[in-house]
Amino acid sequence: MRRLGHPESLAGWALVSPAAVLIGIFGLLPVVMSLTLSFQHSDLLTPETPWVGLDNYRKLAEDPVFVEAIKHTIIYTALFVPGTMLVGLFVAAAMNRSVRFISVYRTTAYITMAVSTISQGIIFLWLTDRDYGLVNAALNAVGVSSQPFLASPSQALYVIVAMTIWGWTGFSVIVYLAALQGVPAELHEAAAIDGATAATRFRTITVPLLGPANLFLVVWLTINALQLFDEVYATTRGGPLRATTVIVYYLWDRAFVQFDAGYAAAMAYALFVVILAITAVQFRIARKHVHTS
Amino acid sequence: MIRRRLCLALVAVLAFVVAACGGGGSSSSGPTEIAVWHGYQDTEGDAFKSLIDQYNKAHPDVKVTELYSSNDLVLQKVLTAVRGGSAPDVAYMFGSWSPNIAKIPQLVDMAGVVSQPDWKWDDFYPAERQAATVGDKIVGVPALVDNLAIVYNKKLFADAGVAPPSPNWTWDDFRAAAAKLTDPAKGQYGWLIPADGSEDTVWHYVPMLWEAGGDILSPDNQHAVFNSEAGIKALTTLQQMAVTDKSLYLDTTNENGPKLMNSGKVAMLVTGPWDLSSLSDIDYGVQVMPTFAGSSGAHQTISGPDNWVVFNNGDQKKKAALDFVKWLTAPDQVKAFSLETGDLPTRTSVGTDQELLAKMNEKLPGSATFVENLDNVKKVRPTVEQYPAISEALGQAIVSVMLGKEQPAAALNSAAQAADTALAGK
Repeated sequence: MRRLGHPESLAGWALVSPAAVLIGIFGLLPVVMSLTLSFQHSDLLTPETPWVGLDNYRKLAEDPVFVEAIKHTIIYTALFVPGTMLVGLFVAAAMNRSVRFISVYRTTAYITMAVSTISQGIIFLWLTDRDYGLVNAALNAVGVSSQPFLASPSQALYVIVAMTIWGWTGFSVIVYLAALQGVPAELHEAAAIDGATAATRFRTITVPLLGPANLFLVVWLTINALQLFDEVYATTRGGPLRATTVIVYYLWDRAFVQFDAGYAAAMAYALFVVILAITAVQFRIARKHVHTS
Repeated sequence: MIRRRLCLALVAVLAFVVAACGGGGSSSSGPTEIAVWHGYQDTEGDAFKSLIDQYNKAHPDVKVTELYSSNDLVLQKVLTAVRGGSAPDVAYMFGSWSPNIAKIPQLVDMAGVVSQPDWKWDDFYPAERQAATVGDKIVGVPALVDNLAIVYNKKLFADAGVAPPSPNWTWDDFRAAAAKLTDPAKGQYGWLIPADGSEDTVWHYVPMLWEAGGDILSPDNQHAVFNSEAGIKALTTLQQMAVTDKSLYLDTTNENGPKLMNSGKVAMLVTGPWDLSSLSDIDYGVQVMPTFAGSSGAHQTISGPDNWVVFNNGDQKKKAALDFVKWLTAPDQVKAFSLETGDLPTRTSVGTDQELLAKMNEKLPGSATFVENLDNVKKVRPTVEQYPAISEALGQAIVSVMLGKEQPAAALNSAAQAADTALAGK
């Protein structure tokens, strides 16, 4: 009922305006500027930025490296999102009980989130080193020959998947743990009296009640997976032979190594549309299947 | 009424934000302040700061302030600052960026400046001058020069009973030695090469290409010629060592070189003087790069000279900045900085100072060989703005051959095609 002119709403506007202006300048304005940039040729060096219409987008469709980058990003996302959720759910379920030192275990599970992605990258570089890494030492001990891991075009992307699942598990553990603790104990008690086993109870009571947590994690992890950059920059720099070149890494490379900012902006917008579309689909599916109350 | 007040409030907030972003302006009285962005840390950082203090004391009318900025990222930062109208007055920039830097309108073209006799421009090594020249512009004044040579672990050579590298070595000798120094059981390799496909990979290949008698581009810079017989010969040598002999450790992550060298896992590196200080645990020697038997290319190496680049922030600041750069790169300061840091002297008059070389070598063994090796810098990479694209194509070709995915001729041909496309397009 309130209109803009109402004194109270005026006060409200006054209070949010500093934040709104800052978000406008540092959030929305760049979004609009990069849209215009995507229709221009810009090398970031010269002030002249001639309009090129849809040229950048046309180039995008014909760029084999961009197609490869999309492929890598999809493979990565398809493995990373379910992987992180499954491992997180398993760990959270294991921790959803009262045993001694449980808070120590819970802190330990979350601690991977506190490790900076750059240090994480360097640690994994050495762990998975072909000649001197601990992982290969362990493989050799059980009779498996040494693997090149991050040095191999066919393995590097999967090593990054494993590395990021490790890094993000703490996050999904926290979300799942909170959701698990919200499952009413009396439902479990009632089902137990009716003779349901622990496995049945988990499947028929716990899992359906985790719907909102699942939805949140799917959306959040997918957006993060599509924007993968730090871990690639810290480990493989998109290689070997572009095997780990994902969309955002390629975008950075075009803009700041090859000085083709207009093209990079077009790529950013293509990614934006994809993320928007995927998120919309996720919410649509969720509306049908997720039990929220 | 209320609406107007709301507008006023918004305008006030906006004004506050804009003022906050604007930063402080300089006052017209007092010394002229000039900002210098550089990437020096540790020993280099201390030596650089003491030079600045020295300059500030002698010049009360100028105040030089220094700001550390990682070298790898300085270009992005400078570009942002130039666009925002707050460019530094002087910045340390990689030589490989010169063709791109030349396009920045605020850049001070040094061509008319360094021709004055008191700059002693010809005293800088030829490769430095070439790398700073883009068309008829000179983008900066040499700040650092380096080159590549063999650094080898003396103990590993003695243990394997292999004679240490000599100036007469051919690449065949190098290959044979690397094979003997490789021991899979110990996880020991003869040689290590950065294999991330970046310019770091490319500039290890390029001197081999030159030594074999080839070049990157045609003399008019119009098309790629690295897919010549010479180019194939150079890349085949890398292929034989990486794929056939497995004596070459491919550092695809580009992080491991000095660490593995220092822990005795790698017998040789082809690297520059900057790595010497990380090799404190081993007894190393330095030798010039091998030659190709029967090639007219003889001994060569590659240099990556970096520059002090001046940006125009008004006449007064520009004048002060030029004067500071002239002082900083004058023989006395070059000598003091080299002595303190072990960085190679950028001027021939300093590089031929035997007393200085002896002192540098005492502080950091092998330095003198690197200084002498500056004479083997006979060519520079083309200063064309498409170089990043050419480097990218060539880097992917080199790595794909070393990983055993492609044959040298085929890989170089497709890279040359990509380079030609980049050169043809604008």
